[in-house]
Amino acid sequence: MTDSIIEVSNISKLYKLGTIGSGSLKRDLYNWWNTAVRKKEQTYDTIMENTDMDSQYLWALKDISFKIKDGEALGIIGSNGSGKSTLLKIISKIVQPTRGTITGRGRISSILEVGTGFHAELTGRENIYISGYTLGMSKFEIIEKFDEIVAFSGIEKFLDTPVKRYSSGMYVRLAFAVAAHLEPDILIVDEVLAVGDADFQKKCMGKMKDISNKNGRTILFVSHNLQAITNLCSRAIWLNKGKLMDDGNSAEVVENYIGSTKQDKNETAWDMAEQAPGNELVKLKSILINPVSEKANTYISVRTPVHIDVEFWCYIENCTLNINVTLLTETGECVFNIGTHNIVAKKGIMVLDTTIPGNLLNNANYTISLTVIKDNASLVYEFVDCASFDVEDIRENMTYFGKWEGIIRPEINSVLYIK
Amino acid sequence: MSLVENKKEWVIESKSRYFGLNLKEIYAYRHLLQRLVRKEFLINYQQTLLGPLWIVFSPLLTMITYVFVFNKIIGVSSGKLPPVLFYFSGIIVWNFFNDSFGSTSKTFRDNIGLFSKVYFPRLIVPFSQIITQLFRFLIQLILLIFILIYFMVFQGFEVKFSYLLLAIPFIMFTIGMISLSLGLIFSVLTAKYRDLANLVDMLMKVLMFITPVIYPMSSVSEDIRWFVQLNPLAPLFEFFRLCLLGDGIVSASQLLYSVGFMAITAFFAILIFNKQGSKLIDVI
Repeated sequence: MTDSIIEVSNISKLYKLGTIGSGSLKRDLYNWWNTAVRKKEQTYDTIMENTDMDSQYLWALKDISFKIKDGEALGIIGSNGSGKSTLLKIISKIVQPTRGTITGRGRISSILEVGTGFHAELTGRENIYISGYTLGMSKFEIIEKFDEIVAFSGIEKFLDTPVKRYSSGMYVRLAFAVAAHLEPDILIVDEVLAVGDADFQKKCMGKMKDISNKNGRTILFVSHNLQAITNLCSRAIWLNKGKLMDDGNSAEVVENYIGSTKQDKNETAWDMAEQAPGNELVKLKSILINPVSEKANTYISVRTPVHIDVEFWCYIENCTLNINVTLLTETGECVFNIGTHNIVAKKGIMVLDTTIPGNLLNNANYTISLTVIKDNASLVYEFVDCASFDVEDIRENMTYFGKWEGIIRPEINSVLYIK
Repeated sequence: MSLVENKKEWVIESKSRYFGLNLKEIYAYRHLLQRLVRKEFLINYQQTLLGPLWIVFSPLLTMITYVFVFNKIIGVSSGKLPPVLFYFSGIIVWNFFNDSFGSTSKTFRDNIGLFSKVYFPRLIVPFSQIITQLFRFLIQLILLIFILIYFMVFQGFEVKFSYLLLAIPFIMFTIGMISLSLGLIFSVLTAKYRDLANLVDMLMKVLMFITPVIYPMSSVSEDIRWFVQLNPLAPLFEFFRLCLLGDGIVSASQLLYSVGFMAITAFFAILIFNKQGSKLIDVI
């Protein structure tokens, strides 16, 4: 007895790169002659060993294996080109794997785009039917759900107007309404949250949560919105360049994934003073920005304090120096400006060490500018936009997935109660 | 026992089979087929001046041109039949073949966007095209029958209807299957090797001239008649005119040849479509 609804074993997918054109007939005939007639097994094993040499081929997926339990919501994450969509297309029977097998049970529906099967010339009514049937709904299901679909999309008035006259918002709403009323055993969804406004995205997520939680259906969900993944899915897999990197609890997989993308230390250093920014009085030697955390391989999040360590070459003496640290948002607004105390300048290396506390910055990209000031009066040098860093989002038990408003996001306890 | 056990099992493999025709699956998608046929009619005749009347207008206009050019100017014989009946019957059968082939052979090229986003049995699309063309043909056939009645009543044209009329569905089935089979084969080939599409267009024009559309077999001289009869469509066209209008040269062995051709092309079409169909998405 098994409780897995899909079993993916050793799936690989090889793509041929470059133009597939002239001379392909000859090659096809030659390959066919070799494999089908002479029964020679030349096919992919030779290519597999020579992938590095033969840049004509690309393994979009390589030996992917995992199981999905009935009723489980599985998130698939990875950067662009990691093979997420290819994997979904193979499970949806759209493309064939080069190797490996998938066994599964039950009916699959895949929403790889919004508006599959829609035809611009046809009316909304016609499109509901044609798209529904294309996505695998039965006649009974469509008739039963028709009014619900129309109500969900909110386009009652335009039901008999060709969809080419719809606004893009109406089109997307109708298209999603059809897809949202699919009731397969396994639902495959690829990045539909990328389209539509915040309102629409919320509606999508709500509907998907319903499908998963209330109806207990199996969902495979690809998204770049990592918050949506952790929220909707209990389990996630992480693909990178066609390989399975991690499989497990979605919050942990997401954390590992973000950690990997931020693993490179945010450090800029100049070996030679001649090339370093600055002037004859002061020059930048290095800037290091890292999260303060006990764990290795972490990244800067809205929770972690940010440690900034800057070294300068100092060429002046007999004066006092202090440094202004300015933190700016992407749009150039100043978040804060802090100054150090004065020190007596001395030739050599000067170090600035500062830590921005955790639970202060919002999920955004921030830029640092440094201003070196002599004797509290004259400007020595201004290092404009000399470093920047990203603060990643962390949310738990939230149903909102849009951008969190505000320049900062401090932890402020507030209590709501009824008197 | 979990519910999973009760659900239908499926397997996705890396190898596609030659004999993977899944009729059960096609039946499950019959409503999609029906909607696609409907779509063809809706999108072709929406926002047009004459709408569905074009189905009968366009062969009528072609017929008038043919009568004028081939019969009156060039002087091609139309056998024992009045030119109007002769050309119109030839044109509608040829159009059925030509349009069916033309639309099915573009299955992959025209639907690549859809095919790369959703799975359904790909055969549904060419089937919907054939059915659409069949409906168009039936409408045109009704017009042909009206013209025939006119000629019988007002022009004294005589036809002895016989049990041969029952053979018409068989003729149309054979022609439909040949065009579908060739269409499927070429849909795969033209998707892979695009320049073939140009060649195919040209070959179709040539094919029309070696099919008794604008001339009867009886006017082809005995020594080159064998050449025209190599064309498996020729006996079917002659037989169609014989059944409905009472004039045509055809033998049982020639019909057997046509049916044999149909069977062989259908066999290969299914092999190629099954084997290559699922791989084409990577190539186009």
